[in-house]
Amino acid sequence: MTETVKVFDIERFAIKDGPGIRTVVFMQGCPLHCPWCSNPESAAVDGVLRYYEAKCLHCGACAAVCPESAVKFEDGLVRIDRSVCTLCGACVENCPGAALKIQAKRMKCRDVIDILLRDKDYYEHSGGGVTFSGGEALAQPDALLAMLKMCRDEGLHTAVETTANAPYDVLSAIEPYTDLFLIDLKHTDGGKLHEVTGANPELVFGNIRSLASTAARKIRLRMPCIPGFNVEREHFEKAFAFAVENGIKGLDLLPYHTLGTGKYKQLGRECLYARTEPLDRSELELYAGIGNSMGLDISIL
Amino acid sequence: MAKFNVETVQNVEQSKKIPCCKPILEQLEIMEAYTDAHRRFSNSTRERREVECLKVLYPRMFRPIEPQDLFAGRLDFLPIGFGCVTSVGGVGHYCVFRKLRQFQEQLPDELKPRVDTLYDYWLDNDVKTQFNRDMIVDDTMGMFIDTAFPLIATARLSGMMLDYPKLVENGVPGMRRILEEHIAASPDNDFYKAGLECMDILCHSAEALRKDALNQMEGASTERKRQLASMADSLESIRKRAPETFVEALQLFWLYALLAGVINYGRLDDLLGPYLAADLKSGRLTESEAYDYIKSLWTMIENRRTTVNGRVIVGGKGRKHPEEADVFMHLALKVCKDCRYVEPQFTLRIDRTTTDRTWNEALDALGAGATYPTLYNDEVEVPAVAYGMRVDGKTAEWYVPFGCTEFVIQGQSTGTPNICINLLKLLTIYMNDGIDPIDGLKKDAGAVIKPLEEYGSFEDFYNGYKALLDIYLDKSAQAQYYSYEVMNRNVSFLFNSLLTDDCIERGKALLDGGVRYLGGTCEIYGSINTSDSLEAIRELVFQKRKYSLRQIHDAMLADFKGYDLLRRDCLACDKYGNDLDTADSLANDLYEFYATGVRDRGIKVGMQYFLVVISNNQLNTEWGNATAASPDGRLSGMYLNPANNPQGGANVSGPTAMLNSLARFDAKYHAGSVQNIKFSPALFNGNREIIKALFKTYFDRGGCHLMVTTVNRGELEDAMVHPEKYPDLIVRVSGFSAVFVELPRNVQEELLSRVLYD
Repeated sequence: MTETVKVFDIERFAIKDGPGIRTVVFMQGCPLHCPWCSNPESAAVDGVLRYYEAKCLHCGACAAVCPESAVKFEDGLVRIDRSVCTLCGACVENCPGAALKIQAKRMKCRDVIDILLRDKDYYEHSGGGVTFSGGEALAQPDALLAMLKMCRDEGLHTAVETTANAPYDVLSAIEPYTDLFLIDLKHTDGGKLHEVTGANPELVFGNIRSLASTAARKIRLRMPCIPGFNVEREHFEKAFAFAVENGIKGLDLLPYHTLGTGKYKQLGRECLYARTEPLDRSELELYAGIGNSMGLDISIL
Repeated sequence: MAKFNVETVQNVEQSKKIPCCKPILEQLEIMEAYTDAHRRFSNSTRERREVECLKVLYPRMFRPIEPQDLFAGRLDFLPIGFGCVTSVGGVGHYCVFRKLRQFQEQLPDELKPRVDTLYDYWLDNDVKTQFNRDMIVDDTMGMFIDTAFPLIATARLSGMMLDYPKLVENGVPGMRRILEEHIAASPDNDFYKAGLECMDILCHSAEALRKDALNQMEGASTERKRQLASMADSLESIRKRAPETFVEALQLFWLYALLAGVINYGRLDDLLGPYLAADLKSGRLTESEAYDYIKSLWTMIENRRTTVNGRVIVGGKGRKHPEEADVFMHLALKVCKDCRYVEPQFTLRIDRTTTDRTWNEALDALGAGATYPTLYNDEVEVPAVAYGMRVDGKTAEWYVPFGCTEFVIQGQSTGTPNICINLLKLLTIYMNDGIDPIDGLKKDAGAVIKPLEEYGSFEDFYNGYKALLDIYLDKSAQAQYYSYEVMNRNVSFLFNSLLTDDCIERGKALLDGGVRYLGGTCEIYGSINTSDSLEAIRELVFQKRKYSLRQIHDAMLADFKGYDLLRRDCLACDKYGNDLDTADSLANDLYEFYATGVRDRGIKVGMQYFLVVISNNQLNTEWGNATAASPDGRLSGMYLNPANNPQGGANVSGPTAMLNSLARFDAKYHAGSVQNIKFSPALFNGNREIIKALFKTYFDRGGCHLMVTTVNRGELEDAMVHPEKYPDLIVRVSGFSAVFVELPRNVQEELLSRVLYD
């Protein structure tokens, strides 16, 4: 059987998701719903119709071809009812302004690997490799495992960026083929974590503990630093203690940025963080200092 | 009647020239004296006539030494005179008619008729006009730089880089001795005799400058007095013996380069390094004094304002004094970083042995926004040059880029690009039944072109285009060769010939059979737009069968108005620059077709080599303005892709993908191909090891070269609105650097369209 995977982007020359020069495979679908997410288009398993109003010629060609009447053209405006959209792509094909897009596409895993291999020598020169991200990489476990095995065969360094919100079996299955885990630690307070992101705290913390018990040196925790949610001394101190306790050395602090806020409108959604200012990295230096003084290796990305 | 206008602008003059310092009447008198000498010696040999004309100019055309100069030699140019290239003066015995008219306008009415007399004389005698008169005969070939034509041609001797090691090793007395020995053996050879008189001109010029230095000592500060005294000493000693110090070697080299009219300088590290290292070792110079001298050299080169030239090359294989040369190289890298001048076009040749220190210094300068050094990869270039130019590996190690990027072998070859071809214009002509959609003129050059409906396959369509291209490639080789014939009929380029192998040995001027390797280059424009256009046709017409060729052509003629969906589909087709086998392999196929086509034709007409160079100054923008809409989705009048790079904005897959596309072309079929890349300072300077790995990998996989700009996102846009805030913002155009705010708006827009890696 030829394994396939649903991806929404493959980014080459990525230099923030693991060491060196990397290619990141952004896999479609995520069980969480973090309101600050910078890739909201990645959430739905099958993808979603994206509409770029600035490119729209307001010609109505999209509505004219939509078999489900999900796209309507009224009063010179395009209106999309995504609940009835079947993602058939007719409107995308007929949009002269290239204002409509379905980003998610199904690819053969082998084809993904072939793209990854095109930069193999850059990885080797820079100590880089490939990173599987999302969405949630673990949401397509079979494809992920298949691709990781192929990477191993090709001699590529592999990283998996994940929320760890998946059955432990999935994690333990990929562990032998994964050189680096970049695991989100969005909040140390399980209640808040669940309430805001929908994650299962027992599952997430349990997974990290279990993985760390055998492979702590492969783990780097990533802490998205979101104003109003987790930029608090207590959270950082608890997170650092959690790392120390589990033998995890490295943590990345990711200051909140606003690069993804424009996407919400393209998806017909409201961005709850539309008014939140990006966080300056200097505001995190205090916390990084605390972590470093505990013997941890903290980076602000 | 001639098809051309003699007053056309002849070259890119992006940098503002420093005006002539002589009173206007004196300028007129010099031009009259020059014209008179040209007329009086018209029945003599061309060597005799040339040297007599040069005597009119030198030392008279030297400007006074400037207060900041640490060595001497600045020249003025008049609309009539002698030279090699259009950027300083003109070509051979030249008259730049447009500038002569401008000059005339400044004169009082009673003097104006004297200019008319000159104008009329030179209409028959200007070397370039003679070439144009013979070659510019129909709608297929135009003169530089008339963008209405798909092919433009000129006569010039650009890119000469001379055998300065021979000059400094022998000194003026040694050069005289060599010439005298040859005269003894061939007493009637005017080349030798005129060559000897060139040495006199050099000495007279040194003497005149020495007097100027001595005169300026009066009232000068103690420090300046010391500098002027040292300058005067050097000017004295270079007449009498071979240089012994760094300053003497520098002075002799510089004076000779000025008199030769060359504007590219060659491997100065290997030339001057030994003198510099010895002076530093003996304590004759401190490192800070050496820095000041090199900075003074930078300023002198900048002040010549040659825009796309001024090449100084350091590093790389084949240097005779690598250790001493590195001393010069490291100081020069520092000067380059600190100065951030648009010239010299400072060039670093690298190979696997290039040290980390050198890499870091180069990246420091690039990260500071200097746009220099441009990087050339010897591991690829040396074998490529050996194949392309048909020379052995040792000879190939002396390749040097000049101008925008094209190569010569220093002191051994000519390589002037006297032809430019616009491949995309030819495609639009081909698709429009041989008629240029821009002006409605037939430019099929006699090719038989089928109606679009009759092409049954992509190969059939592509072959038809190649057949038209073949005719133009024939024309290009013929015109290049003819440019040498016309120049050779008129001039000997004496100063150039004396320092070019094997002119002295053979007793012949370089274009008269003296030069060891008679080479040339052919500039290619719009190649990526063309291959992307072909890719769009292959995909949309012959694979998906979504449109007919006629539909695509109708949309092109309408400049895509009313064809939004079709244009979107054209734009969505695979584009070169994204590491895609489809678009990249077609680009490579087209490249190999025109590059080997040019090369084979050059060999056939009798040149050592005639190779394509995929570079551009700002002509990609100007020629694009005169090129109709194309199947890649490019609108009518829009800039063409820069050099060998993707069309601005077409490369959307990151720098590794773009570099992979760039590295695809086999360098052995070209004599230089400009590869531009643009980063934000944050990315470039904040990730030094990553950038180094990126570049090294690209070079390892066959990348031949890189030109790097670091600039902030938004800075260029802001500079267009508030130019006064950005007087020092330097950008790499393609093959030359410029102060961004001094560029014309259409060129600024082209630069802005290019992807910035952030």
